[in-house]
Amino acid sequence: MGDKNSQDYILLDHTADMGFEIKGADPAELFKKAGQALIHIMFGAVPATGADKVKVSLKSYDLSDLMVRWLTEILYLFEGERLITTDIIVDSLSHETIDATLMTSPFDPLKHEILREIKAITYHQIDVIQKDGIWKARVIMDL
Amino acid sequence: MEIELKEIDKNRWLIPKSGNMRVPGMIFSSPQLIKGLLKDQSLAQVANVASLPGIVKQSLAMPDIHWGYGFPIGGVAAFDIEEGIVSPGGVGYDINCGCRLMTTSLTLDEIKPDIKELISALFKNIPAGVGSEGHVHLTKKDEAKVAEEGAAWAIKQGFGQIDDRERTEDYGALPGADPSTLSERAVKRGLDQLGTLGSGNHFLEIQVVDRIYDEKIAKLFNLSEGRITVFIHSGSRGFGHQICDDFLKEMGKEAHIKNIQLPDRQLACAPITSDLGKRYLSAMACAANYAWANRQILMHLAFETFLSTLTISPRDLRMRLLYDVCHNIAKMETHNLDGKDRSLCVHRKGATRSLPPGHPLLPGIFQKTGQPVLIPGDMGTFSYVLAGANGAMELSFGSSCHGAGRLLSRSMAIKTAKGRSIYRELEDKGIFVQSRGKETLKEEMPEAYKDVSQVVDVVHETGLATKVARLRPLGAIKG
Repeated sequence: MGDKNSQDYILLDHTADMGFEIKGADPAELFKKAGQALIHIMFGAVPATGADKVKVSLKSYDLSDLMVRWLTEILYLFEGERLITTDIIVDSLSHETIDATLMTSPFDPLKHEILREIKAITYHQIDVIQKDGIWKARVIMDL
Repeated sequence: MEIELKEIDKNRWLIPKSGNMRVPGMIFSSPQLIKGLLKDQSLAQVANVASLPGIVKQSLAMPDIHWGYGFPIGGVAAFDIEEGIVSPGGVGYDINCGCRLMTTSLTLDEIKPDIKELISALFKNIPAGVGSEGHVHLTKKDEAKVAEEGAAWAIKQGFGQIDDRERTEDYGALPGADPSTLSERAVKRGLDQLGTLGSGNHFLEIQVVDRIYDEKIAKLFNLSEGRITVFIHSGSRGFGHQICDDFLKEMGKEAHIKNIQLPDRQLACAPITSDLGKRYLSAMACAANYAWANRQILMHLAFETFLSTLTISPRDLRMRLLYDVCHNIAKMETHNLDGKDRSLCVHRKGATRSLPPGHPLLPGIFQKTGQPVLIPGDMGTFSYVLAGANGAMELSFGSSCHGAGRLLSRSMAIKTAKGRSIYRELEDKGIFVQSRGKETLKEEMPEAYKDVSQVVDVVHETGLATKVARLRPLGAIKG
């Protein structure tokens, strides 16, 4: 996931923590970009060389909650399994479910630089909306 | 959201009840500090908390209040245990994030030449930073014991002394911890993180007592001008983060099913008497106890590092725990409301308990002084030791502030620090810092925080706690 990520999200100022906004043509692109933004904030540009596939299937009750669960899953893969997501394929996405394939690489302190620890993806002001044909999301993280 | 503020006196501002608020809001602040609050959403967050079921008296904010997520940081709210709720967002992800202060017999003159070496040794011996793993690797069975026993478990393993427990809030263990309430993920994340500092604003700092405000209490706290102290700020690491995550998800779903409208999804909550509320409180207690064990181990690692670096004996070092406080917690406490004792669940989200002299929950050693209240500053400025005072029981459910409180967002701090070496600037002031995170020093630069002395003055003047001593930083390690 190269440098282009840095232009695909906008960092939001929040006194205690940090947030970001992303846009997508459809929900699948929005979720993919949100995952990429999270990885970029944590590690900067990560080469898309991960070879280990991780299948993710999540259920929720609306897109906002699904977004928090989705990003929390990517964060957990690093925090709990020490896997860095290097590429994201959204296989299917509905209003309440997401199925995705994450390409991952084991964390290697010699290869990967950690820029910032993120404790959690919060529900604070979480918003996933469609406006003027564009899908937008705002996410606040706890640092 | 327009928030009405009424000045009560020079240190208190009321948010009158309006809209969905069940009680008014009350902000402890100063004419100078209150101006900063008008720029962000922290006051709206005080009003949001005031709308939660079962809240009593007032939704409170300490003078270090700043914009959080759900609850404001610096928020205090008490809920009736029969009709009220418990909210994981009102405790925070870092359950029992807190502070501990150790006193020593060393003087500044004795260790001044060794500060840099001490900081390097501490940085080497104490794991810090993102996802760092500690020296203690737990089995699942041992992790369950840590979750139930807290600081006592660490002491049994040889980290510290038996009487450290009475120098720890709640004797280092909340009752009711039940490891069967934990998810597999929480258990997994707790196995390797004991004895680690963490990242962000967590730190270990060497300080010197720089000023005494209350000679009598300072003496009883073993604090005198020129003496060296060691301050630790850390929490329950990924174990606590996961528990908060797990229960926010569950409570958010429950609110959706029951069609409960929340002003902010981060305020998801459950009745204290419900199965979900009880399970959260049991899991939260596990994380709180884990954090106390963690800080107990961190203290011991610092103790060993001082001994080996300075090649002195424990008798010459005399490093003793003064006290350990938590500032992210929900606890069952008894408070007097309108002349009646009420059982309440007090949420402190970035607020420190402050019990006055004579309070029954305090051990004998603090009966005359009140509880030590530990207020860290930031890397470049002072930290403070205060003592719990009666005003806290009357005004703030036995609570005080927890720190300086952020002023600049992290990205603004990085912009402000552009082209500057914060490391060099601190070194010029005689403060040696080592940090793991690339951006940590910039994000945590002194200008990013409010002036902690102003925050502490509000607490002192309102009688929430009494100033005892000021501590000047000499060196710190950060995640």
